[in-house]
Order: sequence, then C-alpha cells, then structure tokens
Amino acid sequence: MAKDGSQGMSALLEPIALANRSTITLAEDIRADNETLSPVRHNDVMPAIIRAEKFCLYYGVKAGVKDINMDIFPQSVTAIIGPSGCGKSTFLRSINRMNDLIPNVRSEGTLYVNGVNVYDGRINLVNLRQQVGMVFQKPNPFPKSIYDNVAYGPRLQGIRGGRLDDMVETCLKDAAIWEEVKDLLGKSALALSGGQQQRLCIARALATRPKVLLMDEPCSALDPIATSKIEELIVGLKNAYTIVIVTHNMQQAARISDCTAFFCMGELIEYDATNIIFTKPSRKQTEDYVTGRFS
Amino acid sequence: MNIPLRQWLDRLFTSLAMLSVLLIVAAMIGILLPMVWRGGSAVVFRGTVEFRRMQLEQFNRGDSAAVRAEAEDAARIRQHAYEILDRFAAGLDTSELETKVKQLHREFGVQLANREIPQKQLSELRSVSKELRDELLKAFEAEDKTQVLEHLDAVMSHSGDERLKGTVAAEFFDLARQYRDTVANVDLRRRSEYADSLKQVKDAMRSLFGPRPGERLPALPIEQYGSTRWDQAKQNLDKLLWAESWTGSGEGQTLTKSRIPREEQFAGTALAGLFPYVRDNIQGMLRPKWTFYWQYFTDDSMSGHYFGGVGPEILGTLLITMFAIAFSLPVGVVTAAYLVECAGDGWLTRILRMCVNTLAGVPSIVFGLFGLAFFVIYLQPKLGLPGSSSIIAGSLTLGLLVLPVIIRASEEAIRTVPQAYKEASLALGASRFRCFMSVTLPVATPGILTGLILSMSRAAGETAPILFTAAVAMGPIPTSLSQPTRTLSYSSYDMAVGDKMAMLAPHNQFGMVMTLVAIVLLLNIAAIVVRGRMSKKLRGQ
Repeated sequence: MAKDGSQGMSALLEPIALANRSTITLAEDIRADNETLSPVRHNDVMPAIIRAEKFCLYYGVKAGVKDINMDIFPQSVTAIIGPSGCGKSTFLRSINRMNDLIPNVRSEGTLYVNGVNVYDGRINLVNLRQQVGMVFQKPNPFPKSIYDNVAYGPRLQGIRGGRLDDMVETCLKDAAIWEEVKDLLGKSALALSGGQQQRLCIARALATRPKVLLMDEPCSALDPIATSKIEELIVGLKNAYTIVIVTHNMQQAARISDCTAFFCMGELIEYDATNIIFTKPSRKQTEDYVTGRFS
Repeated sequence: MNIPLRQWLDRLFTSLAMLSVLLIVAAMIGILLPMVWRGGSAVVFRGTVEFRRMQLEQFNRGDSAAVRAEAEDAARIRQHAYEILDRFAAGLDTSELETKVKQLHREFGVQLANREIPQKQLSELRSVSKELRDELLKAFEAEDKTQVLEHLDAVMSHSGDERLKGTVAAEFFDLARQYRDTVANVDLRRRSEYADSLKQVKDAMRSLFGPRPGERLPALPIEQYGSTRWDQAKQNLDKLLWAESWTGSGEGQTLTKSRIPREEQFAGTALAGLFPYVRDNIQGMLRPKWTFYWQYFTDDSMSGHYFGGVGPEILGTLLITMFAIAFSLPVGVVTAAYLVECAGDGWLTRILRMCVNTLAGVPSIVFGLFGLAFFVIYLQPKLGLPGSSSIIAGSLTLGLLVLPVIIRASEEAIRTVPQAYKEASLALGASRFRCFMSVTLPVATPGILTGLILSMSRAAGETAPILFTAAVAMGPIPTSLSQPTRTLSYSSYDMAVGDKMAMLAPHNQFGMVMTLVAIVLLLNIAAIVVRGRMSKKLRGQ
C-alpha cells in the first residue's frame, strides 16, 4: 500500500498501487541506489513524486531517451534544459504517456508517478492524465468559449452546475487571468492574445486538479511581457503543484526553477539544484552548455 | 534567371490564370443565363385569356366574373372568324348541303301529303321536287364550274313556278342561289387541296382558341383550352397564317421547305378574309397580359406537364435528397472517423480505402440497378412492403451513391484537425471517444459540411439511381415513404424522351431544369452559410 499519503491518486490507481512492491523511496534510499540522481541531499525525508528508473523510450529502433534515473520532488519547479533533440520533451511527455499517440513507441524501465508505475499495462490513462496536467509549447485552447475551455476537464469528471462555475473562476484566478477575461467568458478563446491563451491553457490544465503540471516550453511562442507573466504564475503555482518545465531559455530556468536537469543526446547528464547547475556544475558538458560554449 | 524574364513569366502565368477564371465565368454565364431566361418564362410570361380561364376552371383561382366577362369579349371577336370559316367550309364541303337537299325533298313530300290536292297535281309536284333535288345534287357533285352553273340554272328555271311558292320546296332556290355565290369564288378543281389546307387552318384555330363555343368539351384538359401563353399563341398564329410545304425538285433531290402565306393560298375565296382578320384582332381574341405565375412552384401538373407547375416534383426531390443525406451522413462520418482514428494503416484499411475510392467511381446507373435488385425486389418484400419503387428505396440508393463522397470529405476533415487540439483534450484526461466527440468532430464539421454540400447537389440532380427505384413521371403526391414520387430530375428526363410534351411546352422543361438548379443552389447556399458561421465561430470571431 502506498505510504505517501496521496490518497486521491492511490484511490484512483488502487490495483496498480497494490501491485508495486516499494512505491515510495526516501531520498536516503535514492542516494543509496547510486544510479538515481537526486539534487535534494539536505532533506532526507522528502518523497519524490516522479521517479524514473532506468527509463528508456524508443521511437521504433531509435532511442528518444535512454536510461534515465531521476527523482522529481513535490512542490517544486524542476527545469529540464538541453540542446534541441536531446529528449527533454520526450521525457516530459513520457510522464503522462502522451507519447502513446505516436505509433511504434516502446518503453523500457519504470516511471513512477506518485508511486505508481505509469507504464504498467493496467494503468488508467484517463486518471493518470487528470493527475498529471500538461501545458504545450504552442497555446492550444479549443475553439470554444473561454468558459468551455476551462470547464472541459471538470466536465469529463462529471462536474456540472454551480460547482463548475466556481471551479472555472478559481482556476482562472489561479492562472492569473481572471481579471482579464471575467467579462468575456462566453467569447471564443481564440480571440485572446497568445500570452492570455497560454495562461488559459494553464487554467484549463489546473481545472482537472492535477498533482503535477508538465510544461513543454510554455513561453517559446510568447513575447517577453507575456513570458514574464507566465513565469510569475509558475512561481506562484509552485506551492500547490509540482511543476516540470522544459525550456530552451536558460535564464528562465535559472529564474524560476528549484532544480535543473541537463539532458543531452537522450541521456540525463546532470541533475542538481538550479544554483549548482548554473554556478558550479560537476560535468564539463553541463558547464559548456550553460555558459554557451556548447557546440 | 534574370529579373525581366521572371517578371515576364509571372505576368504570363497571371494572365493565364485570369483567362481560365474568365473562361469559367463565361461558361457559367453561357449555360446558366439562357437556362434561367427560358426557365423563368415558366413563371413570368404573357398569359392569355385562355390561361386565366384554365386557372379559374382547373385551380379555382382568379376573379370568376372578370374572367368570364373577358372570355365573352374575346369570344365575340372570335365569332366573326368562325363565321368566315363556316361560310368557306360550306362551299367546300357539300355533304351537309346534300343531306339538307334530301331532307327538303322528304319534308316537301310530307307537306304535300297533308294538303288536299288532286292526285295528278300531287304526282306532278313530286316529280318537280325530285328533279330539283337531283339537279342540285348533280350541281354539288360537279367539279366543272360551267356544269355546276348549268345544273343550277336548271333548278332556277322552276323558280317562277307558282305552285311551289310558300312551300318547303322554295328553299331549293335559296340553296341554289347560295351555292352559285360560293362557286363564283371557289376554284372547284382545287377542292382537295383546299380540304387539306382547311384542316390545317381549323387545327391552328383550335390550338389558338380552343374548342369552338357550343362544341362538346373534350375530356382531356390539354384539349379544353387554346393557347394559354402569348409565345405559344404566336407560334400557332404563325401556323395559321403560313402554309408550310416540303417540295422536291426531282428524284433523289433534297426536299426544301417553302412557306406561303395562306392568304395567298386561299386568294379569291371567302376564306382569304380570315387571315387578315385574325392577324389584326389576335390581341383582342386572346388578350395577353403579363402574368407572374408563382404558383408554378406549388401547383400540381396536368396532362403530363402541359399545364400546371412542379410542386410535387420539388417535394419529391427534397424528400429523396433529405432522406439520402439522413442515411449517408451518419454512416459516412462514422466510417471516416473509424478510418482516421481507429483503423491505423494495415492492409485491411488499405483495401477499405480502395473500396471507397472505387465506389466513388461507379457509374450511377449501376447503383440504380443495384437499388432495383436489392432494395426494391429483395428487401422491400421481406419487410412487407410492395416490391415496387418507393421513396425509401430511392433514398437509400442515392445514399449509397453519395456515401463515398461524404466518407472522403469527412476523412479529410477529421485528418486535418490540428493534433494540438487532440493532444490538449487527451492530456486533460479525455478518452478517445470523448476527445473525438467534443473536440475533433466540432472542428471537423465545416469540412464535413463541404462534403455534404457536394453530395446534396449530386443526390438532388441524379436521375439514373432513382430511375428504377423511386421515380415516376406521373402519379399522385406520395403519402408515405413506401410510395414512389415524382422528382425534378426524372420528370425533365421523362419529358425530354417520353413524349412530345417537351416540344409542346418547352417552358415547362426549362422551368423544371431551372427549378432543379435553383434548389441545388439554395441547398448549397444554406450549407455554405452554416459552414461559414461555424468556421467563424471556430476561429473565434
């Protein structure tokens, strides 16, 4: 039985949770595991919410990511950086199994979310994705009204009526967009600006009440002002959610993240507290990349 | 490539593109304008008094008193023409005169028998009467003018006979005098020629003015009225005023058509006066008035589309099209969704796709025969319906015909829904079905509607698939789906090939085709408006 106390998740994934021998590993154990990189060395009792063990993902025969061992901790922002094609997004999308949409995808190893191996055959994808929200690179609100966009997730869970209205309002407030759209809820989401659309997408992702929020370069299509708003929002959301963000912008990673993972060629090169990665990385490759000497 | 050359090529391609656009526009105008022009004449035309009479009597439409008064006015002017015709016909056609003469002789005999006169005088008078009769009959039969006059003179020589004064026999002399007048004007040797031509004149008169007043009304409505339309009247008038004949110059030579005015043909006869009279008074005889016959679109047709409108045809076309779409749209969209979202790319899917493509290329008559064999002959009796053509069988056949179009269009529309929408939906925890229903399908709807537009137009215009499965040329308005119906496409086909109606009522044929095109256009416009609204909404405007 899960020991992490995340009753919601374990309730949803009861059979799978039961099937796992040791679903929660303390930071102490992770270090003892030696292979698993963990930046949180000072807090031995903090349980990881996402844990990859020798995780590999192949597109046909080509490896997208290989041999990832990584712990991601709750209520923190974890940035994943690395050159293009290094497998950052692949790893991120592996967490909520969005890679399943691509034909001929195959995985090896295990990836635990809240103590449940999401690559277990019996996993309920609907539940997983409600627990692990995702924000995409390009703002992709549905061509529906603002209200309907936010209400999409809750409606799937069967929430209706006044409770839904409250939820939409809360999520829009959490995503710091309520003031801008409160009078336009019936208007099409596509009429919003790019930055607003992205915050709306965040609100939409929050509306399923996830534990984890995955963000795949959420600011790459936005201007600096919109970017700074999103960044503020991410920092604000940290207290309630676990955020994993893929970014090309190293300043952004430095500004908002607690831990940073550096990926290269499908491998996790270094994973540590952000200030360590950006000031005294232990690997030459990481240093070259963060200082811009990477070629 | 240097810049001037590029510019030149650019201009060349631009002008070529412009040219093709212009060609298409010209073709559209060249096809549509004459059709609308001629088809429009089924609705807007100069209707004659005959038309108003027909509307009143057949459809109970219009001001009864006014129409009757108008018809009487026209009849008064026509009367003179009929009189001229009768006077001439009397001279030409002596059989009536002959019977009259024989009757006179008998009546005289009866009159004599009732009188108290001596036997000798009686037999004398009888023989005189007999002689008069025979002389008159000979005069009527003779073709030579001098002979006729000889016989008539022989009759007239008895006119001084005191004994005959005040008796029926006196009428013999009236007849002889009349006939002498007629003969003075008519060339008796051309009698047979006149008889032919007179028949044509009578026919033309009949098609202009309908049956003569007092004549027994024919059973068919088509024969009860004269020219209802001014354009029709002008054609018939032409037939009245001109004699057409085909003459050959010799053996093996092509025949040439020659037109001679009937006035010339009948020159010197009593009939010659008819033609200028009709020509000058035709307006008064028919009283053409501009008519807007909007009921053309609602009226039932009569006598095989000679009169009336295309109401049942429009109804049938709409019914069949709607039911065909109602059948093929859900099936088509579900099939497309399966092919795109579920089927993957196996060999089975490839075969399926190939089948759909092949189906799209099957000639429509093959669908028609399939519909006949399967729906009409096989399926309907199994379901307890009569094994004859029905709306439902035609709709299903048409539905099969347009199915590939809908499948292909829907497939394309579903395939082009941005992956981002699907990902967003799935990432929010939607199942694939919910994702399809709530995101993919609404976004794909404008594209699906495009396919719908194409198939609606096709279904409304197709003839071959409903030829054996749903359509009839004539028949009652259907009251259930298991009855056949008339449709615009089939009726215009039937009019063109079935009988001479297309020649007699060309406006109706054009009107039918125009209505069909208008219906297809209206359906398209409606679907385009709906699609435009939807995609506008999807774009967030």
